Amino acid sequence: MIEHNRKPVVALLGNPNSGKSSLFNYLTGLRQKVSNFPGVTVDKKIGYLKNENMEVSIIDFPGTYSTFPNSLDERIVTNTLVNINDSNYPDLVVYVADATQLERHLLFATQVHDLGIPMIFLLNMVDIIEKDKTQINVDEISAFLGCKVLPVSVREHKNVAFVKNAIFEALSADISSPVVPLFKLDKVEAEVAKEVSEIVPSRTDYHAKLIAHHYQWLDFLTHDQKIKIENVASKFKFEDLRTQIRETMSRFDLHENLLKKAINRNTPVKATLTDKIDNLVTHKIVGPILFFVIMLFVFQAIFTWASYPMDWIENAFALSGEWVSHILGDNWFSDLMVNGIIAGLGGIIVFVPQIAILFLLITILEESGYMSRVVFMFDSIMQKFGMNGRSVVSLISSGACAIPAIMATRTISDKKERLITILVSPFISCSARLPIYAVLIGFVVPDTRIGIFQAQGLALMGLYLLGVFGVLIVSFILKLILKSESTSYLMLELPDYKKPIWKNVLLTVKKKVEAFVVGAGKIIMAISILLWFLASFGPGDAMQQAEENAIELSEANNWDEAETENHIASSKLESSYIGHMGKWIEPAIKPLGYDWKIGIALLTSFAAREVFVGTMATIYSIGSESDELTIRQKMAAEKWPGTTLNVYNRATSLSLLVFYVFAMQCMSTLAVVRSETLSWKWPVIQFVFMGAMAYFGALFVYQLFS
Amino acid sequence: MILETKKNVMDLQPGQSSVITSLIENVYTSKLMALGILPRTTVKMIRKATFGNVFYIKLENHQLAIRAEEAKTIIIE
Repeated sequence: MIEHNRKPVVALLGNPNSGKSSLFNYLTGLRQKVSNFPGVTVDKKIGYLKNENMEVSIIDFPGTYSTFPNSLDERIVTNTLVNINDSNYPDLVVYVADATQLERHLLFATQVHDLGIPMIFLLNMVDIIEKDKTQINVDEISAFLGCKVLPVSVREHKNVAFVKNAIFEALSADISSPVVPLFKLDKVEAEVAKEVSEIVPSRTDYHAKLIAHHYQWLDFLTHDQKIKIENVASKFKFEDLRTQIRETMSRFDLHENLLKKAINRNTPVKATLTDKIDNLVTHKIVGPILFFVIMLFVFQAIFTWASYPMDWIENAFALSGEWVSHILGDNWFSDLMVNGIIAGLGGIIVFVPQIAILFLLITILEESGYMSRVVFMFDSIMQKFGMNGRSVVSLISSGACAIPAIMATRTISDKKERLITILVSPFISCSARLPIYAVLIGFVVPDTRIGIFQAQGLALMGLYLLGVFGVLIVSFILKLILKSESTSYLMLELPDYKKPIWKNVLLTVKKKVEAFVVGAGKIIMAISILLWFLASFGPGDAMQQAEENAIELSEANNWDEAETENHIASSKLESSYIGHMGKWIEPAIKPLGYDWKIGIALLTSFAAREVFVGTMATIYSIGSESDELTIRQKMAAEKWPGTTLNVYNRATSLSLLVFYVFAMQCMSTLAVVRSETLSWKWPVIQFVFMGAMAYFGALFVYQLFS
Repeated sequence: MILETKKNVMDLQPGQSSVITSLIENVYTSKLMALGILPRTTVKMIRKATFGNVFYIKLENHQLAIRAEEAKTIIIE
């Protein structure tokens, strides 16, 4: 961004659930971008607004209760509002308050006022106020805050058209008149503010006082400045906590008086619709059952519904691959296009249906207010494992695919709880593991019945439970070893139930899909091309030799064309770099009961777990398109060289199953973990510990059963 | 030593209401206040969560979920 020529910045501020983001979507529509605030995964939503004279940036800041933050999201807001050199420092604040919750929503507004930033105050949800026949005196509030107050209803689009004009009007107005603070600093605070403002340039005394409260974590202060402020604080015995409480209390007293004059409430005390819904939805027994029914529906949606568009996408990419290879002919470039780039692109796009469907459903649950109830119900259990009530949703979604599940952790504001959820979610068996389970389970458990249950079905359930066991153990350990940056608390608002606003829902879905395709897509593409290279080229002329040998063999045996092709593919894969790597790791995987052929499949299936089955088919020269039954028959006949011992005996197959339950065999998940944690550190750690669990788990079962 | 005789929100049975008298100072006290937990405000216990010590409470016109350790700092009449 060009700093010296910056557009005026308008900040949307307000408490959570004030309707702020709906206003943002209304004002900016599709002209909005989502990025992160520097160094953290807190969404920074920015949009643009223009009239004939100027263009402004509008930033939708995270919902905030006050200038005394309790979460990372809120810290960003305070950090920006006290740094006049920040590129996001607003020229104007559009403050959105819920008119039905004005007592609480005024607190942060009076603080922003005292920071000396010009403000427009929106009284949102006036439609509800009007229905309740409550009267609000807009002029009183306007006089109190010393700024323009607009009663609006974003949901019903009432008066919102005036907001845009009000913004441009306010930006071109002369704002030289000094701010009369609403909150009066006491003697100590005033002294501290005076000295701090000599260390850091501040707009108002309140601005300086906030710096004195938060200097330890404000990221724009130099070490030198921090030491000076520390000295000032200790010189005047500035008590951070007690002063915060005193300020909050006196601000509430201030506007309590205002509201007595300005609001004429006419709400009889009776059970609201929300109360009635919650009697059922958060009921001790009905509540959790209802939750699991809803989750079953969500799971079904991403597992089953998504499979149709996923099939279409796979077919479309396969067809365009054939078309391109037909046009380009048979050469390495054509192969790169088809098996590297087009396959890589297909591997990215194929996740879009699952991501879109999951976020469609989750956003509806979030917007309606239901998600806070989920947190209320599961907070306690998840706390024992270092996670958040919201983690339940991610863990269940992982049963279909870990990628949208990990992306869904953004709403967990505690850093540690979010990280643990990200790290353990891939233990839950996803849909890509099913083909492997299907092929291998028959080698482990005979096709019989135990009572009314099918033995293989029970084994499958065992594999899922093993994944859940992985989640519990690892999250518990992570809870003990990961440091927490802040004290954990709940204190969660359970907002009144509302109908979701479709525009918000669809924009969220769009943003999530874009974030995946742009953020994780690059990494998936890079790894996909690398894997293509390793499987298509070999050292020296090994590949060519392999092909010639296969053709000779074919002529000697009178194979037909298809069989010849399959044998060529098989021997080429064997002599490629990845084939050599498979042989090279054989000593390491022999204790698990695997030969080099399985070694190759372990390496190629890093692209995605289900690739294991296709690679097996290629290696056994039966064509990568073979069905599972053919592959199983081929695998069943496989012997260790020079012996009559089956490769796929019970021990090896069980060992492979355990390996795939635990191993992080999915580059796309790693790419998403990278983009959701903003560092390679966590995906690497995750890959290593999941790999170690897979290796030692597989080693253990193999040695036990062989 | 002071005898602990003051009641806090955890002493309320589901359905019972009381008026908040004070808050025990803590790192999150100002956050509780920002959420509307203020002296002279009426608080009603709605229910306890199925699993563990999490409480659904209702204030004048909004609802909150709080943990036991947070509830303990809210002193009532």
